[in-house]
Amino acid sequence: MDLLFQLLVTGVINGSHYALLGIGFGLIFATTRIVHFAYGPIFTFAAYIGWLVAGGMGLPVWLGLLAAIAGAVILGVGSYLLIYRPLEVRNAPVLVPLIASLGLYIVLENLVGILFGSGVRVVEDLDYGIHFVGPAFFTSIHVWQVASLLLVGGALAAFLRWTRYGKAILAMTDDPEMARVIGIDTVRVTLLVFAIGSAVAAVPAVLILLKDGASTHMGFAAVFMAFVAVIVGGVGSLKGAAAGGFLLGLVQSLGLWQIPTEWQNSIAFVLLFAMIMLRPEGLFGVRWR
Amino acid sequence: MEYFLHILVMVCLYAILASSFNLLIGFAGLFALSHAAFYALGAYATAIVATDLGLPFPLPLLVAVAFAAAMSVLIALPALRVSGHYLVVVSLAFQIIVLEVILNWSALTGGTDGISGVPKLAFFGWALDSPGRFLIAAAIGAAACLWVCWRLAHSPFGRALRAMRENEAAAEAVGKNILYMKVTVFAFSAGLAAVAGALFARYFSYVGAQSFTIDETIYILAMVILGGTGNLRGAVLGAAILVALPEALKFVELPVDIADKLRLVVYGAILIVILRFRPQGLLPEPQGTRAMSLSAAQLHGTGGAAEGDGALFAGSGGAAGQVVLEGRALRKTFGGITAISDFSIALQRGRITGLIGPNGAGKTTAFNLLTGFLQPDSGEIVLRGTTIGRRRPDTLVAAGVARSFQDLRLFTRMTVIENVLVALPRQAGDRILDVFFRPGRVRAEERANIARAMAILRFVELDGQAQESAENLSYAEEKLLVVARLLATGAEVLLFDEPLSGLDDTTLREIFPVIRRLAENGKAVCIIEHNLDVIKELCDTVCFLDEGRAMATGTPQALMDDPDLAQRYFK
Amino acid sequence: MIRTTRAWLAAGILAMGATVTTAGSALAQDAPKDPEVYKIGAILAMSGKADWYGKVMSQAVQQAVDEINAKGGVDGIKLEAVIEDHKSGVAKEGVAAMNRLINLNGVEAVLTSFSPPTLAIAPIADEKGILLLNGGGVSTALIGASKYLFHNRSLASDLGQAAAKRAKELGLKKMAQLAWKTDAGDSVIATVKPYWEGTGGEVVATEFMEVGAPNIDTQVAKIRASKPDWVGLWLFSPDPGLALKKIREFGMDVPVIGIEYNADIQKVGGKYTDGYQYTSDYFAPTEPWSEQFATDYETRYGEAPEFYAANYYEGVYVIAEAIRRARAKGGDYWDGAKLAAAIRDDPAFDSVYGGKMTFQDNGVAKKKVALFEVKDGKSSFLNYISLD
Repeated sequence: MDLLFQLLVTGVINGSHYALLGIGFGLIFATTRIVHFAYGPIFTFAAYIGWLVAGGMGLPVWLGLLAAIAGAVILGVGSYLLIYRPLEVRNAPVLVPLIASLGLYIVLENLVGILFGSGVRVVEDLDYGIHFVGPAFFTSIHVWQVASLLLVGGALAAFLRWTRYGKAILAMTDDPEMARVIGIDTVRVTLLVFAIGSAVAAVPAVLILLKDGASTHMGFAAVFMAFVAVIVGGVGSLKGAAAGGFLLGLVQSLGLWQIPTEWQNSIAFVLLFAMIMLRPEGLFGVRWR
Repeated sequence: MEYFLHILVMVCLYAILASSFNLLIGFAGLFALSHAAFYALGAYATAIVATDLGLPFPLPLLVAVAFAAAMSVLIALPALRVSGHYLVVVSLAFQIIVLEVILNWSALTGGTDGISGVPKLAFFGWALDSPGRFLIAAAIGAAACLWVCWRLAHSPFGRALRAMRENEAAAEAVGKNILYMKVTVFAFSAGLAAVAGALFARYFSYVGAQSFTIDETIYILAMVILGGTGNLRGAVLGAAILVALPEALKFVELPVDIADKLRLVVYGAILIVILRFRPQGLLPEPQGTRAMSLSAAQLHGTGGAAEGDGALFAGSGGAAGQVVLEGRALRKTFGGITAISDFSIALQRGRITGLIGPNGAGKTTAFNLLTGFLQPDSGEIVLRGTTIGRRRPDTLVAAGVARSFQDLRLFTRMTVIENVLVALPRQAGDRILDVFFRPGRVRAEERANIARAMAILRFVELDGQAQESAENLSYAEEKLLVVARLLATGAEVLLFDEPLSGLDDTTLREIFPVIRRLAENGKAVCIIEHNLDVIKELCDTVCFLDEGRAMATGTPQALMDDPDLAQRYFK
Repeated sequence: MIRTTRAWLAAGILAMGATVTTAGSALAQDAPKDPEVYKIGAILAMSGKADWYGKVMSQAVQQAVDEINAKGGVDGIKLEAVIEDHKSGVAKEGVAAMNRLINLNGVEAVLTSFSPPTLAIAPIADEKGILLLNGGGVSTALIGASKYLFHNRSLASDLGQAAAKRAKELGLKKMAQLAWKTDAGDSVIATVKPYWEGTGGEVVATEFMEVGAPNIDTQVAKIRASKPDWVGLWLFSPDPGLALKKIREFGMDVPVIGIEYNADIQKVGGKYTDGYQYTSDYFAPTEPWSEQFATDYETRYGEAPEFYAANYYEGVYVIAEAIRRARAKGGDYWDGAKLAAAIRDDPAFDSVYGGKMTFQDNGVAKKKVALFEVKDGKSSFLNYISLD
């Protein structure tokens, strides 16, 4: 039972991480329908920028976070302007941005290695609390992982619901054509979405840097899990992406209660498989458009 | 130079992988990202059968292909129920699970060590143990696989695949068995990937899970997109470029510590730049005659013999006025909302029935029920006196009930004649075994079908545009093509969903006789229409549908004189 | 043209010199046919997930080559290293690299790393007669993969067994193990588990992690729940650091014994590496040669060498020595098979670890396995562990 409780706690923490990634990726995906694979290396870049400021230069962690967010936003907006926008203008088939995104993925991932060198980067001598609740353990960084989901997710939900730009984003998520017809500047909204989505990615990136350290190849798992969370939750739903992420985290953790850890990935994907078979529209998707 | 021969061997392997993947994503439009998993199954099956069991060639190859194809069918049956992004994720899941099973089932697969010492291929004591020698086997293998892909892609089956990619429901509505097609193409794609896997195992004498990760699927995908989806030459070109490019970059001298990363950066950048300037891929998808197994000359050669309407309507005989299709007390609800509460209709041979009613009355739902796209909750559908149970749309088309769609759903990236050809019934070329084992019959039939298709196009006066891409047609021509396509199915009962909406008066006058002639030639026609003038002019009987109920049936005049119905209609 | 003529001239003079100096004994031999330069290949993880290994290995190879050349090369002929990439263990990349090395560069000896690419190039080595020297890949499956394959590194399974032996000495009973899901991790488990159970111990948990997995909380939670006496870490850089950090954060204070430690592990593990014990091929810069190597490496690259660097540095010297010995026999000696024969004839070589190492019949160099303990971020030698 102790183990189960611990796995539950771990699942919630990991779930929060996936959920946050899912929200950022899902926002971009739902609004633009671009499978933005380069979200992965942008996540990595953010972590390394955070390391440069907080670890390399020894400045406070919050400055590192700000720098990471700024870096991610620049890369995200840049990738839209330089890669996706020209393809959009030329009316490329849907798959082409996906492959271009993979090209960008390769470029960025190797640039991280070239710019920052290989090997793991950690912020040394970091002090954080370790807590025990009954048999379960967690650290302050774990708490921040959950809290950041609540803060960022909440802020984003409020933004989407109550601001003019937020409503424009939602309108575009529903129907890009219609959004254009009613006078929304879709290019501007898309830029905004890339900026927000990338900024969201920087938060879990810096937390992972603090928790486990940054490595040049951590982007793949990040974007992959984000993608899966979005599909499980249902495309176009912020709530869905968060729920999908949570489900993924919980299943991956709780599933290992009795099953050996070498099957960690399979557990999540067998669930995913079953999930899509039973409810193809995702947890919060809409069946009839 | 063995090094260059080695590169050529790799090009052969990837040409197989890219072409077979192209069948799936380019032709069938099925985005299943698990190609490397089937590649792995082929490689491992070969390694296990040849190494552990010691069976001689060609048994390992056959086992590999059969095993991969069987696995693909097993996975396809559930996975192909979903499409789009869901299929992407389900297949990615499959890819990951396969790799994890390979890594963990050590007793069989060697686990993380893989299997080394796979015997080299040898014929009459002549071992294919150098890149140069192996290139012969790889080239033969690639040629054979490309031939299979070409054959499949250019057959009527391939045409049906492209139609399915353009619009799944429309392909179903012209009588194509979607599930059969999907499973078949999936199995072919997997089987061919397994051939590449078998070559891999023989060439390297070693298989390890590292070679078959998601990265590999993505690599192959990039070849297909880069070369051009739906173009087999493109897949080969894409494979050649993406194999050769990284090798070529090796000759660029760079500082050792970052050289290989820098090369990858350049590689990624080149990929982006190519796509930037050729977003459709390097080679475009062939259309029309270039996409078919018959040449243009053959196509025109068959155009000469004009056939009368009689040949077009063969098999639609019988007494006019006889009820062919009948819906009785049909009912359909969607999660508590009743779309159709009580709908009955009888369609007669040689008559045109109009289905009218206000927006949201359930007209299209009624069509969906009659044609098998939806199953009624209660009530029965009777075809020529026999009650039909739950049947798929394509079997209903074969039985003689076909429909069109309000939003046309033409196969836009296909030519006009292909749109008609694909709808012709009972084609031997739709059956994959006939494509490969009875090519003569398929060709002969194809020739006859082209003649038939041309006759149909003449009937709707679109024969001049036969080689035009459907997306270049005017709106009125598109509507005519819808009629032609429906006629091509050979079905006796034709249900048109708003075939005349949005047309100006002159065009209407041109289309009226076409529809009338359908009825005159023994078809039972039903049309959904809003324009009462059209109804008055065209229809023999009208069924008024509102709030999911058939409110009244009668002659157009009788219904229009009913003030109650008029009020309902114009409310 | 002029260059080749001059080279032949030089070779001829050298050959004459050699003939003269060894006149009495070598009359019966052919004069050695010298190449212009000895090109040595190295197929390393220059990109991909494990590019850290490629970095340190290639640095060390370069250093050794430069050192040897500065002293005039091997019998006056220079060495040249050609570094190739297998993208962190992809078999086909290794084979492509091998083909390039043989065809475009005419190498006869190749330093290799990682098991999958090494297994895939082994048949080519057999076919073409190329000497392979592996200082990194540690899977048991590598033994005997090619008749020309040698290893100047102990197998991970030996290191793991030494670690388990240490746990035995400490009187521990219940072992939990956390391993990489790779050939290396699997081969340690395959050796340690029967060994541990054979000596009366109990394995209470066996957990796996992916290379560089960002998150191992679940694995560590399961290990803690199994209540072990000690934890064996069958992981490689930098993951032992992450595992140590998690194990300690989770509130476990049992001994942790692993098979690798270096600066990266220290960086990731931070204060939690205190008390970590590990077994390793003994590398501590105490002997003159080791010290020289360590100082030069640090000057050159700004970081202390660890044993992957040491192994590949040593590998170049082994090959150079093998060339020297093969050349002494004369004839068409620049040939991988001849180099391999030279190693088999006299399997003792100087080791940068101090003293001599001896290649056994299975191709694995017998090196001393030692136990270390980490205190305040510094590792200190405890004692040698004998595996016999």
